[in-house]
Amino acid sequence: MSHSDIRDLIPLYALDALEEPEAAEVDRHLKDCEDCRQLLSESYQVTSLMADDGPAPSHVWQRIDYQISDLEKSEIVDLATRRKQRRWMSIALAAATAAVVFAGVTIMQQSIEGDEALVALAGGVADNQGSVVADFVVDDASVAQVVLGVDGVGYVIPTDSLAPLDSDRTYQLWVITPDEKVISAGVLGATPGPSTFTWKGDVAGFALTREVAGGVVSSDGDVVSLITDI
Amino acid sequence: MGRTTRPWQMSTNTDSGVAARVRSGERAALEQAFNSHGGAVKSMAMRVLREESLAEDVVQDVFVAFWRDPAKFDDSRGSLRTFLVTIAHRRAVDLVRAEEARFRREERVPQESEPSIDDEVWTRALGDTVRKALDELPDRERKAIAMAYFGGLSYVEVARRLGEPEGTIKSRIRAGMTKLSVSLAGVST
Repeated sequence: MSHSDIRDLIPLYALDALEEPEAAEVDRHLKDCEDCRQLLSESYQVTSLMADDGPAPSHVWQRIDYQISDLEKSEIVDLATRRKQRRWMSIALAAATAAVVFAGVTIMQQSIEGDEALVALAGGVADNQGSVVADFVVDDASVAQVVLGVDGVGYVIPTDSLAPLDSDRTYQLWVITPDEKVISAGVLGATPGPSTFTWKGDVAGFALTREVAGGVVSSDGDVVSLITDI
Repeated sequence: MGRTTRPWQMSTNTDSGVAARVRSGERAALEQAFNSHGGAVKSMAMRVLREESLAEDVVQDVFVAFWRDPAKFDDSRGSLRTFLVTIAHRRAVDLVRAEEARFRREERVPQESEPSIDDEVWTRALGDTVRKALDELPDRERKAIAMAYFGGLSYVEVARRLGEPEGTIKSRIRAGMTKLSVSLAGVST
């Protein structure tokens, strides 16, 4: 596409109204075109006016603050702790590197070293009194372990038995509440690695489902495994 | 074409200071950004998602993303508010489209949650200045922009739902946005 063609698309790009092939082309063009970057900035200025300046949802700050603390904890776990948790570490080495999480969670990119740190942390939490520890099981084999600490920080640790999905699919974790609500706790990716989630409240169970890439708001249930005996 | 400094650009000193403090790992600076802009971020997510819990998830996601990579904010490109609201819209649209894709994959008819083509629903709660600017647009342009921006639809999908050629919808959106840029120039965020 010519500069003129791309420039015509900038207002639609600012509205997030382009589909992937065109959006990617605009992305590439923007790297080298100051004129289009300026037009995009002006378009974003217009679109951002569509938001109201109401009060910030203060209870969400607690979640953010908590999540950041959790991220920092995962970065400072030391080797001694990891060695102590060798049983947990052994199941993570083949893990993939991405976990996209929402519903009280985050987007995380974990290196293998980060994976090990998460597994070590999960192991430590699993040993604490009051933690919930459960396995997603398929054909008598554990495909993932879930650990949820009393502080509301949870960990999902897939095993080698969890089959990779096609790139247009994802695993998704769900919390089942005592009143039988099913709430997304995170999108785990097509080849999940260890990841975290947060859940503050009572838990009656967990579900692991297969969904379209990006995750879904509510699942009709391509259920991989269900935990209901907590 | 000469450009003058707009009010929103004048606020970047404060924004750049907050961003610099976030870059240095000062969590109080992130909280300051949250207190200043968390409401706008949530309102944008709510406009697209129309569900409180999902909108709050997007708020969390946006501020954690800013904490993890504050260098993505470039104060020469606009205000911190604009930056954060823009991310929130993108994340909300991603969620909407993931749900749409699920329906298509399962060859099901979308439920009643499908975005309405009644743009009145979306524009009713906007501030006076913005609503007036939108009201001044021709109906067809306003509707196309509202379906795309608040409904999370691509222009291709807007065209399909309105039964119009894609090129026509593209032109309407472009024309409407150009008019909004003019009528809202100088409005501070």
